[in-house]
Amino acid sequence: MLLGLLLTSCMKWDYGLEEEFDTSASGEGLFICNEGNFQYGNATLSYYDPETKTVQNEVFYRANGMKLGDVAQSMIIRNGVGWVVVNNSHVVFAIDINTFKELGRITNLTSPRYIHFLSDEKAYITQIWDNRIFIVNPKRYKITGYIEVPNMTMESGSTEQMVQYGKYLYVNCWSYQNRILKIDTETDKVVDELVVGIQPTSLVMDCNNKLWTVTDGGYEGSPYGHEAPSLYRINIDDGKFEVEKQFKFEFSDSPSEVQLNGTKDKLYWINDDIWEMDVTADRIPVRPFLPYDNTIYYGLTVCPRTGDVYIADAIDYVQQGMVYRYSKDRELLDSFYVGIIPGAFCWK
Amino acid sequence: MKKILFIICLIVPCIAMAQKTRSTAWHLSIPEVTVYGQRPMKEIGAQVTKFDSVALKENIALSMADVLTFNSAIFVKNYGRATLSTVAFRGTSPSHTQVSWNGMKINNPMLGMTDFSTIPSYFIDDASLLHGTSSVNETGGGLGGAVKLSTKPAEAEGFGMHFVQGIGSFKTFDEFLRLTYGNEHWQTSTRVVYSSSPNDYKYRNHDKKENIYDEDMNIIDQYYPIERNRSGSFKDFHFLQEVYYNTRKGDRLGFNAWYINSNRELAMLTVDHGDETDFENRQREQTFRSLLSWDHLREDWKLGAKAGYIYTWVGYDYKRDLGNGIMAHMTRSRSHINTFYGQVDGEYYLGKKWLFTANLSLHQHVVESEDKNILRQDGNKAIVGYRKGRPELSGSVSAKWKPIDRLGLSVVFREDMFGKEWTPIIPAFFIDGVISQKGNIMAKASVSRNFRFPTLNDLYFLPGGNPDLKKESGWTYDAGLSFAVGKEGVYSLSGSVNWFESYVKDWIIWLPTTKGFFSPDNIKDVHAYGVELKADLNVALAKDWQLGLNGTFSWTPSINEGEPRTPADQSVGKQLPYVPEYSSTVTGRLTWRSWSFLYKWCYYSERYTMSSNDISLTGKLPPYFMSNVTLEKGLSFKWADLSLKGTINNLFNEEYLSVLSRPMPGINFEVFIGITPKWGKKK
Repeated sequence: MLLGLLLTSCMKWDYGLEEEFDTSASGEGLFICNEGNFQYGNATLSYYDPETKTVQNEVFYRANGMKLGDVAQSMIIRNGVGWVVVNNSHVVFAIDINTFKELGRITNLTSPRYIHFLSDEKAYITQIWDNRIFIVNPKRYKITGYIEVPNMTMESGSTEQMVQYGKYLYVNCWSYQNRILKIDTETDKVVDELVVGIQPTSLVMDCNNKLWTVTDGGYEGSPYGHEAPSLYRINIDDGKFEVEKQFKFEFSDSPSEVQLNGTKDKLYWINDDIWEMDVTADRIPVRPFLPYDNTIYYGLTVCPRTGDVYIADAIDYVQQGMVYRYSKDRELLDSFYVGIIPGAFCWK
Repeated sequence: MKKILFIICLIVPCIAMAQKTRSTAWHLSIPEVTVYGQRPMKEIGAQVTKFDSVALKENIALSMADVLTFNSAIFVKNYGRATLSTVAFRGTSPSHTQVSWNGMKINNPMLGMTDFSTIPSYFIDDASLLHGTSSVNETGGGLGGAVKLSTKPAEAEGFGMHFVQGIGSFKTFDEFLRLTYGNEHWQTSTRVVYSSSPNDYKYRNHDKKENIYDEDMNIIDQYYPIERNRSGSFKDFHFLQEVYYNTRKGDRLGFNAWYINSNRELAMLTVDHGDETDFENRQREQTFRSLLSWDHLREDWKLGAKAGYIYTWVGYDYKRDLGNGIMAHMTRSRSHINTFYGQVDGEYYLGKKWLFTANLSLHQHVVESEDKNILRQDGNKAIVGYRKGRPELSGSVSAKWKPIDRLGLSVVFREDMFGKEWTPIIPAFFIDGVISQKGNIMAKASVSRNFRFPTLNDLYFLPGGNPDLKKESGWTYDAGLSFAVGKEGVYSLSGSVNWFESYVKDWIIWLPTTKGFFSPDNIKDVHAYGVELKADLNVALAKDWQLGLNGTFSWTPSINEGEPRTPADQSVGKQLPYVPEYSSTVTGRLTWRSWSFLYKWCYYSERYTMSSNDISLTGKLPPYFMSNVTLEKGLSFKWADLSLKGTINNLFNEEYLSVLSRPMPGINFEVFIGITPKWGKKK
């Protein structure tokens, strides 16, 4: 018997085979960052072609023969290069958006969340658990400096999404924070800040150059406080930096994922249901754009060209999530499985 | 490697020298087969796996996680030595296995589970598994089962000492010292284990590639790097003091005190692109467990009382170099747990046919959890955490009846109270009977209800704790056949096959919320079922030659039978993630005079990483086989007994994973030298 056991074959741990992709022919394309499970290194990248309604999963692994990493947080595209921020792998990958092949990587970040380009040779990367925003040279894949955020400790540090208006960059501070920062991109200094509600989760700028953020209000028992969440319209014109309008939610609400359509005149967010609102509206609509369907939606995006609304359902967070595609007239056009915990989208 | 060769060079002449002396006879005892009528009444109908001292005392580098891996069908999830090692007993979660040490529960009340890597097997003298329903005899909440660990008097006469030094790959050092003293009434034992290692084993990283750039930062080549396990070092110290007093008139008193000081780094993932020198990720633990016990034994009754105290301090630090050599905290969490324990139990035999037992135990936990330091809106500092206390009361009564030698019946009623909430009465019923005296063929069956309360983190952790959680509940059914044949001193062969069926309702799962943190809820209904096989063979092959073989096999589907969470949910009807459907172990020991050769083998089928059981390229955990061998030589000198041992782990140098992104070590070696001086003993 022992001999039999000795002769038994062992586990095979294959190297990843590299597949050739070329999606340059298709005009429109949607990348989906699937976070994966924290500490399991199973984040993936999916690619969806809205024209043919086909999805390719695990494209980073299949193109490069290696894993994307642990918690794929966000992605942006600049000049045909996709920049994928992988939070707990302490890395930002640069990939060719047609072949998905790696072009380079910025490493040794603390806990990166989002990247924003100021020029070809300068970008900012926000972090959680760090009170610094990293300044990088994307051409050389190098960290070149830091912006220290005042009144923020390392342990409760949190800087998130970035929106640029002129030479100023606006950043929402989320975890145990309540501020929007204003950074002078020429001096790399925080020059102003605006206190909003507890934990602003996202930040966008509409067609009228108004900033929008939504707070989650914290949680019950938090020593930082717990309040009803709000949606804020912020005026940044003429050097101003002030809340123009506050839309209050119910105490038990959990709004998140503020997004804009292609013309930036309609605002979308998740609050159990999917909501849509004109950026000039004075009150939140009575009825949602899409009603709650017994699941917690985790991600949201709107196609900049067609206005189709894409919603990510993470289901139980340990299986392939589902993305639903609706027309702007609320008609279900398609649905497709992606990776574990689809959280962020990026349009090609 | 050079050091190991050097040590072997030292050992070989020692062996040659010792050959001139009379060798110590090393015998694998072949016991008499238990006759059906002599089986203990306490175990009527129970499915119990007992670990013998050969498995527990195999070598000082082993923890209970290793013993369970190679000697039982329990799945142990870990990622190398001195890493969090949790178990899936019959396809359940780690908190469904209740663990006791000398009767006192040692599951972490915050997490519900036990880290078996922090229990050195050399500190345990008796260990047994109580499968499914059988755990109700000892404790509540064991929806998967219970692991019962205990120490016992060393039965020393006069002073004794035993010292073992282990030296292994990756600069691993293991030291064990035991001092004993005993006389007719007193038995004392002091045990110390210290293990340390940088644990920086090499592996080829299949999950990432290194880039080679040209001057313009274009990638010109890529390769899979050979890396070392980064940030995986450990230093574990254990001290165990025991004092026993036996009046020899039916009273026994005992005192046990166990101190643990553990300092472990948490290894970086294979997909981590950070520089190990820029981060520190470390968990430190100090635990003190103490226990006073009194047993009062009479011919037909017994009374026992225990009082204990556990203090645990756990500190977790995740730090980042700010670029100037200063390591700043990203996370600094601390938890303090105080547990006060008391228990009384009694047994009463009414003739030879009845046994009545009663037991009442109380564990009072006081927990302080500090998870994060923050700045409040007003600029003042604050700590995110919770302070809670909870009493856990558990009482049981049982009646065991053997109307005839061939038949045994047992009924247990248990009730638990956690906080202010009571379980309904937990009934368990056991029956066993001898089908055939020839071959000692016996049938067993049992059924029980059971409940498990949410842990303190489930209820109160900030953020996410859910005070509205319900307790999990379940029914378990067991049935099995066993046989035992043999001839004392010649051979013994025993085996069992057991079928079980278990339904768990309101299974607690932590899920992310829209606010970015996780929160638990009563989500799943799980149906775990399967078959467990065990076999044990001991044979005297020829004069001085003995062979012992022990094997287990388990088929444990653990199926999610809840409602689909959404129309897209593909998890219903599927195996739970990280629970292998098949597992098996084989241990073979061949002895010749004072030589002993041990072969250990285990197998786990593929573990799914997704609840939908999809196997993706990035979520694949293929089946694996693991083989370890040990060669041991016992030497007897006039002044001492010596033991020389060499172990090879992962014999076939397999590249394998137990958990995603956590590579396991390849082939590695350790040698052990043990010495037991013969102080004051006849030469």
